[in-house]
Amino acid sequence: MKQHRKWVRIAAGAAAAALVLTGCRGGGDDTEAGPGITEEPCPNAVNEDNGCIYLGAISDLTKGPFAPLAGPITEAQKAFWKKVNEDGGIGGYDIDIDKYVADSEYNPEIHNKKYQEMRNDVLALGQTLGSSQTLAILEDMKSDDVVGVPASWNSAWDFEDQILQSGANYCFEAMNGVDWAVKNRGVKNKVLAIHYPNDYGGDAAAGVEEAAKANGLDFVSVETATGQDNQAGAVAAVLKEKPDLLYITTGPAEMATIVGGAAAKGWKGTVVGSSPTWNPALLQTEAAPALEAMYFQAAPWGPWGSETDGHAKMREAIGDVDSPNDGYTAGWVWEYPLLAALKAAAEMDGGITRENVVKAAAELDSVDYEGMLPDEAYNATGEPNEVAWRQSVIGGVDKDAPTGVSIVQDFWVGPTAEGYDYTEPCFALS
Amino acid sequence: MTTFFQAVLDGFAQGSIYALLALGFVMIYKATLVISFAQPALMVCGGLFAHHASRVWDIPFWPSLAIAVLCGAVLGMVVERLALRPMVGKPVFTLAIITIGVDIALRVLANRYMGADPRGVTYPNGGRRYEFLGLSISHQRLGLIAVTIVTVIALALFFRYAKTGLAMRATALSQETALAQGIRVGTMFALAWAIAGGLAAIAGTFVAATGAGIEQNTWIIALKALPAIIIGGLDSIPGAVVGGILVGLIESLTAVFQPDVAPWLGNNFALVAPYALMFLILLVKPYGLFGTKEVERV
Repeated sequence: MKQHRKWVRIAAGAAAAALVLTGCRGGGDDTEAGPGITEEPCPNAVNEDNGCIYLGAISDLTKGPFAPLAGPITEAQKAFWKKVNEDGGIGGYDIDIDKYVADSEYNPEIHNKKYQEMRNDVLALGQTLGSSQTLAILEDMKSDDVVGVPASWNSAWDFEDQILQSGANYCFEAMNGVDWAVKNRGVKNKVLAIHYPNDYGGDAAAGVEEAAKANGLDFVSVETATGQDNQAGAVAAVLKEKPDLLYITTGPAEMATIVGGAAAKGWKGTVVGSSPTWNPALLQTEAAPALEAMYFQAAPWGPWGSETDGHAKMREAIGDVDSPNDGYTAGWVWEYPLLAALKAAAEMDGGITRENVVKAAAELDSVDYEGMLPDEAYNATGEPNEVAWRQSVIGGVDKDAPTGVSIVQDFWVGPTAEGYDYTEPCFALS
Repeated sequence: MTTFFQAVLDGFAQGSIYALLALGFVMIYKATLVISFAQPALMVCGGLFAHHASRVWDIPFWPSLAIAVLCGAVLGMVVERLALRPMVGKPVFTLAIITIGVDIALRVLANRYMGADPRGVTYPNGGRRYEFLGLSISHQRLGLIAVTIVTVIALALFFRYAKTGLAMRATALSQETALAQGIRVGTMFALAWAIAGGLAAIAGTFVAATGAGIEQNTWIIALKALPAIIIGGLDSIPGAVVGGILVGLIESLTAVFQPDVAPWLGNNFALVAPYALMFLILLVKPYGLFGTKEVERV
């Protein structure tokens, strides 16, 4: 009996030690290929015979200003990889972006904390939302050989090998927005840039300033905080400056509050917003008449209802949604470069590993976006000044369009962005 | 000068929202000595009740507002009965923490209802503007001010003349004495929460009828009522109204004039201004403008 007890104790001790050691390892399923990739099938695998690649997603799912967009972004990315899995996966692996989804609340510190929690468990980040937030983990990503797909369009990402950015950044988008308004809306005198006091707002404001200079417009810049109740200063600035063109880089609610508030007090002009300023539900608010009359969206690609193969596949994969939203579109498009990098890594010696994915991403000179963007929109093989994508689309309010906007100007690059000497980011990230 | 008076008018309208919310805080504080941090969620829920009535059931604005007030009041009573009543007698700090939990729980439910989209309320002719002596105000803002004035007068009359109102005042003064007089103190607590829920619903409805409607971050607006109640005095109903209006005014005037008059204060000083005002007033009147000075026997 004593012997039996002894063995029970030894077995229990070994089990406890194994548990502790597993815990110390962070619960990761490392294999020869490294962290974030296993020979075991994914949870709820489409292909039971495939191994599993785990992608992380750190998003703004509850409290931050982009929560209304972050949900659709994340859902679209899940649908994207599900479609990839249904098509057989990549190199004998299915891709899972469900298990490691974290909410950063649009807070760089929490973003960093969430990355620390998943850094040993993911091969790459399928989403890292926010510029400052991504910056908070960038050094760790580099030391981990982890590539990431930013849910932001910052000019700084064009200078980072491990950040796989799609579409024109906020800076070029703003230049194109101003150039387009000068050409098509008769803007001649003054442009007022209202923006968040962060990297998103700063990047766009830098582009607006550059375009204002190039077009001989007076330029005024006003920073504004998040929150509808905090826009009194921005509205007062519009009424005081009386700009021909208002370029806004905030969240949708703030944009609508500013435009609705200024219009209600008699201001008329043209409003161009950075792509994240639009939410179709704004057409159900009191600001709708002002938006219909004055608002245009500068965007990196066509909205939900556009007629391309990629858009059609996205709509089919996502299925019926209560309210189509271009958060879905962005989430879907952003994943194409990561798909291309994974496919290229699968062909390399050693197959899909973090190191090979980093190498493959740096060698991509084009990406098949299935028509949502031109293939040449992604090119990581040269200096940003030579290869960075500078074209945007301009959308106008269209109540009949699924997401409330339709294209009034297809892909184009204005003279300011075209001639811009792009040797450093427009706005220094801090 | 027109700019100044326009800023005053805008501030008065915005301050009306804060005043309604501040009244809710004060109602609960007077009855239970607890600062209810559930007011933001009650405001959001009230706005969503109005949204549902207005946009889903297609009911006109004013009946929608009435439905929202009713539902807000019921919600307030339910919160009191389920979350607060069982904790009577516990330290007020514990109760305040419970209201934070209630706020989070209600907002999770509200966010689930809202999803990604802001939710508005249709206000008839809300965009129509009235011009007077160079000043301009929208139909919707005028409605807000009118409703606030009517609500404040109705509350004042209720507490002065209605038997239940007098019972609530008695309960606020001394729960033991009120109990000895046959007043059902628990019912008074529930009523205080019901009134606070109704007031928050009015505020939420007008927030939903403005600009971008109610979205997941709109609850933050209700936090502006905190400096309002400190400025006015935690236990003063007139103080809540004056505090709310003052916060609206200081915010509006700072937003318009500070960038020119005191640019060295930096961008968005209007966000800080209510707290700066609160600090100044507390230096002079530690219990707020109308708060009851606390006397303790030693």
